[in-house]
Amino acid sequence: MKRDQEYSGGCSSGGGGKGKMCWEETEQDAGVDELLAVLGYKVKESDMAEVAQKLVQLEQVMGSVQQDNLSFLANETVHYNPSDLSSWLESMISELNPPPQHDPFTTTSTYDDSSFDADLTAIPGKALLPQIEIHPPQSKRFKPSTTTTELSSSSSTMPVWCGGGGAYQSDSVSTRPRAESTRPVVLIDSQDNGVRLVHTLMACAEAIQQENMKLADALLKQIGFLAISQAGAMRKVATYFAEALARKVYRLYPSNPNDSAFTDLLQMHFYETCPYLKFAHFTANQAILEAFADKTKVHVIDFSMKQGMQWPALLQALALRPGGAPSFRLTGIGPPSHDNTDHLQEVGWKLAQLAESINVEFEFRGFVANSLADLDASMFDIRQGETVAVNSIFELHQLLARPGGIDKVLSVVKDLKPEIFTIVEQEANHNGPIFMDRFTESLHYYSTLFDSLEGCGGSGGELGPVSDQDKLMSEVYLGRQICNLVSCEGLDRVERHETLAKWRTRFNSAGLEPVHLGSNAFKQASMLLALFAGGDGYRVEENNGCLMLGWHTRPLIATSAWKLTG
Amino acid sequence: MGTNFFINDNQDVLIEILKRLDGRSLGVAACVCKLWCGIARNDSLWEHLCFRHVSQPQEGVRTVVLALGGYRRLYMVCVRPVLNRLRKWRPIGMESDSEIVRRVYWTRHEVELSLSLFCVDYYERVLLGGGGGGGGGGGGGRHGGDGARTTSLMFLCKAVNV
Repeated sequence: MKRDQEYSGGCSSGGGGKGKMCWEETEQDAGVDELLAVLGYKVKESDMAEVAQKLVQLEQVMGSVQQDNLSFLANETVHYNPSDLSSWLESMISELNPPPQHDPFTTTSTYDDSSFDADLTAIPGKALLPQIEIHPPQSKRFKPSTTTTELSSSSSTMPVWCGGGGAYQSDSVSTRPRAESTRPVVLIDSQDNGVRLVHTLMACAEAIQQENMKLADALLKQIGFLAISQAGAMRKVATYFAEALARKVYRLYPSNPNDSAFTDLLQMHFYETCPYLKFAHFTANQAILEAFADKTKVHVIDFSMKQGMQWPALLQALALRPGGAPSFRLTGIGPPSHDNTDHLQEVGWKLAQLAESINVEFEFRGFVANSLADLDASMFDIRQGETVAVNSIFELHQLLARPGGIDKVLSVVKDLKPEIFTIVEQEANHNGPIFMDRFTESLHYYSTLFDSLEGCGGSGGELGPVSDQDKLMSEVYLGRQICNLVSCEGLDRVERHETLAKWRTRFNSAGLEPVHLGSNAFKQASMLLALFAGGDGYRVEENNGCLMLGWHTRPLIATSAWKLTG
Repeated sequence: MGTNFFINDNQDVLIEILKRLDGRSLGVAACVCKLWCGIARNDSLWEHLCFRHVSQPQEGVRTVVLALGGYRRLYMVCVRPVLNRLRKWRPIGMESDSEIVRRVYWTRHEVELSLSLFCVDYYERVLLGGGGGGGGGGGGGRHGGDGARTTSLMFLCKAVNV
């Protein structure tokens, strides 16, 4: 037999030294079925027939076993006749629920539908085939020469082992139209599939890292099916990650979100749906307020101006402070806008109106910059006797994409001699050099984040469709981050989150020392979180003077405050 | 011969009585008649309600609150939901669950938080929302068919307009 020849061939070269052995092994690996390889079974394509025969034998034995401890195999197992594919398909279709509507974000709609059934049979595991894992053909029907050529409409990822049963595949061609019209969804046990979904996502990322795009493509299709079987947060996260992976595989990189107006809108919805941004603003404001105690001229420089949502609360707190309000100056930095409106000036004007109504002396200046690293300390016109505070909410990590960016910005901050420098960043390690690590970390991070979003949705559903829309926009906001994180590289990848520990090291070596956020900030933050419906899962933690907001046990964002040493 | 005492003729007495009511009762009182409605909408009553159990509120609070929309709105949009949520959150201690005894515990932190949220609400509603349609209560305004109008206080209870 062909197989014996190869075996002896392998043996004879086995003595030829380690290097040669390795080469033999990799050559042998080259012929294994790729889908079974994903599951950890290395089965050569030429061996498939034999494996199938053995499975048939095993099944026959199972059906007739009489021993006490194995009799359940005969009595309780359901035996399908694998050569009768059409009736098997029929029974599956009639048993199961009709398929749900496709999620608009799912990537399966972009895939080649003609290979639907091919991949249906290709899905490994109990989810699809309760008892049998592959279709063992009857040995009589085995025609080793027929492979994928029979099924010309399939894509190239058509698994070759199905070709081992080439003869009965041709039988199934006639049943194909029937199967296509009803499109059975065959995934039943969703908990099991949740685990499988995660593993498939990781396997796909691994395949991309190894530049094995064919495998990645096959896995992406499976992810599509598995994701549909999930519900809630897991489904949404999987869909976004699948989309990001697909972009990476097919090289459809997302254009950088230059539409800052849309990003601002998304962030507004995110601000409303869940407490992360509010937590960030309130804790930073508390630190700034304490730093401004007894000061009469204050100047805040905001790296993350957006809609200016942070400043009304600070203005109000300053208006009501015991000694009266100081004169307040705000400098806001924002990206260039693509319509002709001067977005920063509009925001500044609105804040000025608010300040006027509550009798706070206010002055605003806006700077447009493509990147924070383009700024210089001299631009800010710091006046005599002014107390300066610098504020950055989710902006610093974007500088890590450019070499030297963060150092430039930190030196500018130091030149400004601020009384306090407040920073809020995501608490995650998404900037490692290895793609797989970043992928795994971000999968966990965003799963937790989406879980927390499930609970937010307005108060007890009173607000109905409006809150659903807000939730959806928040998810899109996060989805963009996921897309950038997973599918972009180099200068385009701006979502380079790093943990608080890393930022601490960086700031310490840049000559900044931490300022402890006090108990007032902690109390206010705790109270704020208690107000959120579905907010039982949020936790505020204090970490060496910094405050972290997390969902259950996982910290998600961290607020810290800094000043110049000495 | 006795003189009938008609409360509507003695508005100062009415005001004194209304001052001692809780928010819900004040709302109900406003539904009695036009006179009562006018009196119940008087902002000073609501100011009294908001700060009843707090020691001397800081100076300048009134100016700020009035500028941002008044005490009645402050109560509706911020104070009432904040207290409702936080009362459930904070361990009540020896107080029974009886609804008859409903005491308003205000601490400095709750005051500050409510005022901050109120200010954010004003900013969003009046300045970011284009300046129109801010009336009609926080809850009503939110439903007004305009998908772009948003309010960050939607996470609090829907406000009831008196």
